[in-house]
Amino acid sequence: MAQLRLEHVDKIYDNKVQAVFDFNLDVKDGELIVLVGPSGCGKSTTLRMIAGLEDISRGHLFLDGKDITQTPAKDRDMAMVFQNYALYGHMTVYENMAFSLTLRKEDPNVIHKKVLAAAEILDLTSQLNKKPSQLSGGQRQRVAMGRSIVRNPKVFLFDEPLSNLDAKLRGATRREILLLHKRLGATMLYVTHDQTEALTLADRIVCMSMGHVQQVGTPLELYDSPANLFVASFIGLPPMNFFDVTVKGDKLEGKDFQVPLTAEEQKTLSSYQGKEITLGVRPENIVEGGSLQIKVFSNENLGMNTLVHGHLGSARITAKLRGWKNYKEHDVVNVSFDRKHFFDKETTNAIGREQKQ
Amino acid sequence: MNQEELLIKKDRMRFIKNKLPANLALLAILFDVFYFVSIYQSDVRDYYYTIMIGASILYNLVFMLACFLSSEGIKNYKLGYAWLLAGLGIGQIVRIFVLPAQAHATELKKVGRVMADGQYTFVVVCLVVSAVCCLAAALIGGYRSVVLKQYQATLETKSA
Ligand SMILES: Nc1ncnc2c1ncn2[C@@H]1O[C@H](COP(=O)(O)OP(=O)(O)O)[C@@H](O)[C@H]1O
Ligand SMILES: [Mg+2]
Repeated sequence: MAQLRLEHVDKIYDNKVQAVFDFNLDVKDGELIVLVGPSGCGKSTTLRMIAGLEDISRGHLFLDGKDITQTPAKDRDMAMVFQNYALYGHMTVYENMAFSLTLRKEDPNVIHKKVLAAAEILDLTSQLNKKPSQLSGGQRQRVAMGRSIVRNPKVFLFDEPLSNLDAKLRGATRREILLLHKRLGATMLYVTHDQTEALTLADRIVCMSMGHVQQVGTPLELYDSPANLFVASFIGLPPMNFFDVTVKGDKLEGKDFQVPLTAEEQKTLSSYQGKEITLGVRPENIVEGGSLQIKVFSNENLGMNTLVHGHLGSARITAKLRGWKNYKEHDVVNVSFDRKHFFDKETTNAIGREQKQ
Repeated sequence: MNQEELLIKKDRMRFIKNKLPANLALLAILFDVFYFVSIYQSDVRDYYYTIMIGASILYNLVFMLACFLSSEGIKNYKLGYAWLLAGLGIGQIVRIFVLPAQAHATELKKVGRVMADGQYTFVVVCLVVSAVCCLAAALIGGYRSVVLKQYQATLETKSA
């Protein structure tokens, strides 16, 4: 059992820089929460406050209903896995994993059982007598996790644990973390700047920008109904296309192009008649056939899909079309949008999201 | 200790180094150093004892090297090094009767007793402690190596 709750948490550093503004989150038992956002948005700061490595300037932190805002890090029953694994080079894997328990003077036989159990979970049983220098990056990462697992903490905290790995290993280790989460059923908080990691790992994502929480929701919610322009642009690869358009009756008018609206979309935009809004369209929501014309300037084959870059009217657009295409520069492709997102120009919030939910 | 705890204790040996005998072997080296630093003090202008001290220094080098290697070897449960340690331990006892005992028993005209009572006692104690450390390391290390080997054999038959 481990429920974590953050209530109106602020962080103001000594140099008066406010890194986190009014952070609220309710983490359920066994949930894997991913904090995602661009570099410098306050993800690490938030995680470090939860771990107790930074003071909480304002607000409260609860673990299983108990206020631990002032509890020192070592008494919080949380384990943090760092980006650099911080393993002891002169110790074997076994000794590295046993170390924190040895320090606490636990019974060697009990330590032994815990280490072997953790090694089993992490598939490190055959590596126990090796030194970290003899292991691959992914294995070292698992040893670092093993050190946390043996302590049997209530909450696991990960700060960009995969950023030191190459792309291939990152995918593999990501799947391992997911598997680990399933096996342990532990509550985990995971920080990353990589939206792909967030989408693949999370039960729920917390998307942050400049110290503010932008949206909390399942990966599908963030992908399919982003709360605002920032979330829309941050989640999804290649990123969403944005167009400045004006609502005119049954269509949107952009610079040298017009986008027809469905009846439902017209209803959503009824209060925006004649006003300027931002239209967002994901590259994968663009399909061939329709009234819109893309003037192609480059064609990237990804195998199953083709990325077509070009112009819609005078606006830049990227489309992810199904199949292997061979468009040349100056070709014209007729397309339509099968899913559109609308954003208020002033507030940057999504239009019509309230009614939907 | 019950059966299960005993088994876990054996299992732990697969991952934990054989530290006690390894450290005992290092202790044996330390006392050997005390010994040979002490015999340097003997100021004898006698050809026989100069040769003996020279030979002793050479043996010391060999002893320290062998003992250090054994320390590392026994740390990894290598049975052969237990035998080497036993040999080295016996060697330390034998050495008492080669140089110190002779020197203590001999009186030279110019300098008197080659080795005085106080120094003799000290030297003997050093060698005896060194010997005991070697033998204990051999015994404990050897025993544990055998236990681990047998345990690993049972694991292999189990997995096979
Ligand atoms: N110790 C510190 N003192 C002052 N400002 C800091 C300190 N650590 C981080 N910051 C600032 O807080 C903001 C958030 O940092 P951080 O939480 O590390 O971002 P992230 O992990 O999302 O990349 C940044 O603007 C950073 O410059
Ligand atoms: Mg960071």
